Amino acid sequence: MNSLNTYLIISAFLFSIGLVGVLQRRNLIGMLISVELMLNGASLNFMAFNRFLAPEPVVGQVIALAIMGLAAAETAIGLSIILALYRKMHSINIEQAQRLKG
Amino acid sequence: MDAIFKDPVLLATVIGTSLPFLSMAVILCLTRHNPMLSSRISVTAIVVAAICALFNLAKVASASHAFRFDTAWMSSGNIHLTFGYYLDPLSALMLTIVAVVACLVQIYSLGYMSGDPGYSRYYAFMSLFAWAMMNMVIASTLIQLFIFWELVGLASYMLIGFYYEKFSASQAGKKAFVMTRVGDVGFFLGIIILTLGFGNLGIPDLNSAPGTGTLTTGFITMAAMLIFCGVVGKSAQFPLITWLPDAMEGPTPVSALLHSATMVAAGVYVFSRIFPFFAASPDAMLVALAIGTVTMLLASTMAMTTYDLKQVWAYSTVSQLGMMVMSLAAGGYFAGVFHLTTHAGFKALLFLCSGIFIHEFHTNDMRVIGKQGGRRQIIPMICITVGALALSGVPPFSGFFSKEAILAALNAQASPIWLFAGLFGAFLTAYYSFRLIFYLLFPKGGIEEKHAVHEMDSHGHKEEHHGGLFWAMAVPVMILACVTVVLGFTEHSLQGYIMAGGGAVKHASTQAAAGGEAHGGVVGHQLLVILGISAGLLGIILAWFEFGRKGASRNGFLSYFPPVWKLFDARWYMDAFFRWFLDTAIYSGLTNIFTRNDRRIIDGGIDGICFFTEAGGRIFSFMQSGMLQYNLLIMVLVAGLAMLFCLV
Repeated sequence: MNSLNTYLIISAFLFSIGLVGVLQRRNLIGMLISVELMLNGASLNFMAFNRFLAPEPVVGQVIALAIMGLAAAETAIGLSIILALYRKMHSINIEQAQRLKG
Repeated sequence: MDAIFKDPVLLATVIGTSLPFLSMAVILCLTRHNPMLSSRISVTAIVVAAICALFNLAKVASASHAFRFDTAWMSSGNIHLTFGYYLDPLSALMLTIVAVVACLVQIYSLGYMSGDPGYSRYYAFMSLFAWAMMNMVIASTLIQLFIFWELVGLASYMLIGFYYEKFSASQAGKKAFVMTRVGDVGFFLGIIILTLGFGNLGIPDLNSAPGTGTLTTGFITMAAMLIFCGVVGKSAQFPLITWLPDAMEGPTPVSALLHSATMVAAGVYVFSRIFPFFAASPDAMLVALAIGTVTMLLASTMAMTTYDLKQVWAYSTVSQLGMMVMSLAAGGYFAGVFHLTTHAGFKALLFLCSGIFIHEFHTNDMRVIGKQGGRRQIIPMICITVGALALSGVPPFSGFFSKEAILAALNAQASPIWLFAGLFGAFLTAYYSFRLIFYLLFPKGGIEEKHAVHEMDSHGHKEEHHGGLFWAMAVPVMILACVTVVLGFTEHSLQGYIMAGGGAVKHASTQAAAGGEAHGGVVGHQLLVILGISAGLLGIILAWFEFGRKGASRNGFLSYFPPVWKLFDARWYMDAFFRWFLDTAIYSGLTNIFTRNDRRIIDGGIDGICFFTEAGGRIFSFMQSGMLQYNLLIMVLVAGLAMLFCLV
């Protein structure tokens, strides 16, 4: 149970859920959350490899931390864009955002 | 800079040949709105130029060598081009002719052009012409000569189209410009060939080139023929005759200066300038001889049918230029140059006299002028008769001497055809000149008495014309008439002067004439003089019989042959031929092909590129739905496929 494969499968699962969410959700907030799931899947992958293959503990954790920071920044920017879009369109549906193509 | 002030000849050349340019610049930039001042500036400049030219002539005559001031201009590999002045007896003489005639014509124009709205413009262009022409004359290399040659063409274009609001004048200007350009293309090709094959365009170097044997005869023939194209264009030789009669649309002084005395003589001048070079190619000389003869005869016949005063002199100019070309081509170097000199004098005289008539009677038609009392204008009438006598080759006027010299040169040719053509031309010349004179003197039905109203009018007119303006026109005319009377007697001193410097010239002309020397000419010397005089007198007598005597029909023998009359009147259908040639060969042949190329290939190609770009854009714009998730989906699919590819 406590093997590398388990974690890899879980992380792939997480990543796939996120990917499907990004592709399928029409709600911008939903898409943002799905992106978080994908990032978490990636983080989990790093941690798993770190734990089982590279005993030097720091590398994977550092990357996981970096991904967290990145995710936070990305979320901040994404949310502010969504806010701006909402002010303009009065909706957070991505189909409405099609109008931006000009 | 120092050298200029140390050498008086160079100083005089520089001053004389650049003052007219300054005057043009000043007139165009500063004094355009002050016609009086403009004309004074221009006349002063040209008078100074004429004095400088006379000074140079005297200097060159007294010096035993030619003056050459050169500076390197372009140097590349074997090609060395220089830029500078080359004053030998010929160019000093031509410089003097140009400057003096230009000076007289500009003084004459003070009267003729007075009150014209384009007075300042006229003087600016005249100055431009004088500058270009003088620099052309003293150019030391062919390329420099060509540059000023083209500037002269430009001045000619602007002056022919001087009355640009008149459609025919602007058309004539264009025609002259384009037709001479046809010849200039040949000239320029000749220069290029010479540059490539010889690498030096200096005129004295060219003249001594054939003697050294570095150039093959074929090369010389080709270069000479190409350069002769330029001569044909500028001097209105066959087949490019017809621009010159049309050029008479310009003001009369312009016709006198440009289209008879100096500018059209530029072609002949170039021919004589590199005469030894031409003479090295017998084939080119033969072609030139034939073209000169054809031109002379064609133009003489054309002059027999026109009633336009200026047209007659225009055709006569063409035919006299043809005669000069004949003379040069027959090896009569001095005869050609001498005829150029005398012709400049008496043809300017004829034009300026005609100008006085035209100014007075406001018509170009010789019958109308005669009817309205042309013969009462005593001064111009006497002077025009002097000019016509000189043109007909009657002794003791200048034309007699030069024409005899030419006939002697033609006599030295092996074939008698050329001599007889020359004599026939002299006969025709006398006939058409005196046809005009008798029309003026003895109009059909006598002089019409003017009505009372006209009397008053003409009275007022007369006062106007007998003031300073009239004398501004009459004095140059009288000076030219005196020159015409005297110039012939200077033949021997002039001959000594012209032939002094040029060993190459002397050698070439004896070489070219060598064919005939062997058998001593077609006719003897005494007989030749008699033949020459009698050809002229016969023409005058025939003209008297048909136009002068009491009860003469005043129609001319040509009117009994309507088709011939029509042929001559239509200029041997040369214009019609050019029109036809342009229409069929150029417009519907060549131009058509180019138009099709332009429409189908160039336009079509660009249209095709546009079409495909646009269509492609339309197709790809379907993908740009702006739907973020589709883009993302495709990205993921592609990344997935790439991954699969890497794994498998």
